[in-house]
Amino acid sequence: MVSFVAGLDWNIFFQPAFDGSGTYLRFLLIGLAWTILLSVTAWILAFVIGSIVGVLRTFPGRLLPGLGAVYVELFRNVPLLVQLFLWYFVLPEIIPGLGTWFKQALNPLLQQFVSGVLCLGFFTAARVAEQVRSGINSLGRGQRGAGLALGLNLPQVYQLILLPVAYRIIIPPLTSEFLNIIKNSAVASTIGLAELSRQAQQLGEFTAHWYESFIAVTLLYGIINVTVMIVSQFVERVTRLPGYLGGRK
Amino acid sequence: MISIKAISKWYGEFHVLKECSTTVSKGEVVVVCGPSGSGKSTLIKCVNGLEAFQQGEILIDGVSVGARGTNLSKLRSRVGMVFQHFELFPHLTVIQNLTIAQCKVLRRGNREATEKGQRLLDVVGLAAHAEKFPAQLSGGQQQRVAIARALAMDPIAMLFDEPTSALDPEMIKEVLDVMVKLAQEGMTMMVVTHEMGFAREVANRVIFMDQGQIVEDRPKADFFKSPDTDRAQQFLSKILSHGVQT
Ligand SMILES: Nc1ncnc2c1ncn2[C@@H]1O[C@H](COP(=O)(O)OP(=O)(O)OP(=O)(O)O)[C@@H](O)[C@H]1O
Ligand SMILES: [Mg+2]
Repeated sequence: MVSFVAGLDWNIFFQPAFDGSGTYLRFLLIGLAWTILLSVTAWILAFVIGSIVGVLRTFPGRLLPGLGAVYVELFRNVPLLVQLFLWYFVLPEIIPGLGTWFKQALNPLLQQFVSGVLCLGFFTAARVAEQVRSGINSLGRGQRGAGLALGLNLPQVYQLILLPVAYRIIIPPLTSEFLNIIKNSAVASTIGLAELSRQAQQLGEFTAHWYESFIAVTLLYGIINVTVMIVSQFVERVTRLPGYLGGRK
Repeated sequence: MISIKAISKWYGEFHVLKECSTTVSKGEVVVVCGPSGSGKSTLIKCVNGLEAFQQGEILIDGVSVGARGTNLSKLRSRVGMVFQHFELFPHLTVIQNLTIAQCKVLRRGNREATEKGQRLLDVVGLAAHAEKFPAQLSGGQQQRVAIARALAMDPIAMLFDEPTSALDPEMIKEVLDVMVKLAQEGMTMMVVTHEMGFAREVANRVIFMDQGQIVEDRPKADFFKSPDTDRAQQFLSKILSHGVQT
């Protein structure tokens, strides 16, 4: 293994890239930047929509939980690639005003990015919603009742009582959803966005140094994942409640 | 003060409450007992609108709980409720548990709310624990905080749903002591409990429920001397012979 790695030509990363953007190292780092930008933006969208949908699913009555359930089933069960093609190719054609604006006012790169964000965001929101719902449900009806009994209204009960605890409980599954969004962001390479996996692919194609390229890209994904885990554990530590759910007394 | 008029409630096909009627006057303490599943919790939750009911009417200080125009949040803020499992908010400190609704519902300033909270913690003997989190307290301490939390809203009446049945025997007394004191100070109380010692000491009336019906509703002395019905008689001898509850 060591001799295999040593036998590879690592100088390739310091040679100029085919597109004139600089060295191949820089070429890969551009991909890394797009992957991070895409994942983080999509995550913000997923978190906001997922929280709303998850909360709706725990509301009293039938209508709002029903709408939430439809959202989750729809976005969770249609393959991600299909969803991306819908956002990128189909919706701009069939939505009158907005679609035309999308095609004419945005440059191709922005079109790819916006489609990627919407696709990953709405898809992951369905999964976030399930986590938020299970977090809230794990608190039982008692906490809601206690909040209401004090005269808080339902939005206050969610904002002040249920969500602060539910979010703490679901930090681990939300972390794995964030790791998923990073992995899934590679799907944006299919519509040409220069994210990390596409850059690696191109590097391989243009230089034939496939091994070097994919070893480097694996390392970069690994570094992102480790960073995310560290941040997640940090968040978990600072939000931990004394004596509650394994927190120290 | 609390007037329950022929309320009925169904869970789907299941008839949980059958034409229950009773009243709790100002300053009165009414104990509700009965076998598991008889509808005690459901009844008491109907009183502050935590559970909806399909027939009948409940008036609190003249305001109808089930009516469309009623501001339920406002009504609930005037009726304190204490739960079997305490239901303190785990992410808030003890003092924050006592101030949050004062600030958000009654719009009291933080300073005023905190002072009020501290005073009540003192009353329930927990002044030193204000900055702790609920999970750092024993069950008995948590329940006393929960009582203080309800009192912080200056309620006109208090509802208790089996406040001591999740507690270890040695902690039951510390909670009952607080409740007895409250009763003696003239608080209007409706208490679901099997603590017949408590009923003997401070109750004015005892209500016995079975299968969704109020089977007996009588002054305490009469109830303990000779329950009208066999069912109440059996129930009473069963819980009294178990000893722990008295
Ligand atoms: N959400 C619900 N849906 C359907 N049935 C319910 C629901 N809540 C309670 N019940 C049923 O209603 C009946 C009365 O319940 P309730 O909790 O009021 O009894 P309880 O007298 O308080 O009993 P316990 O002493 O066990 O607390 C029980 O048979 C229970 O199974
Ligand atoms: Mg009960």
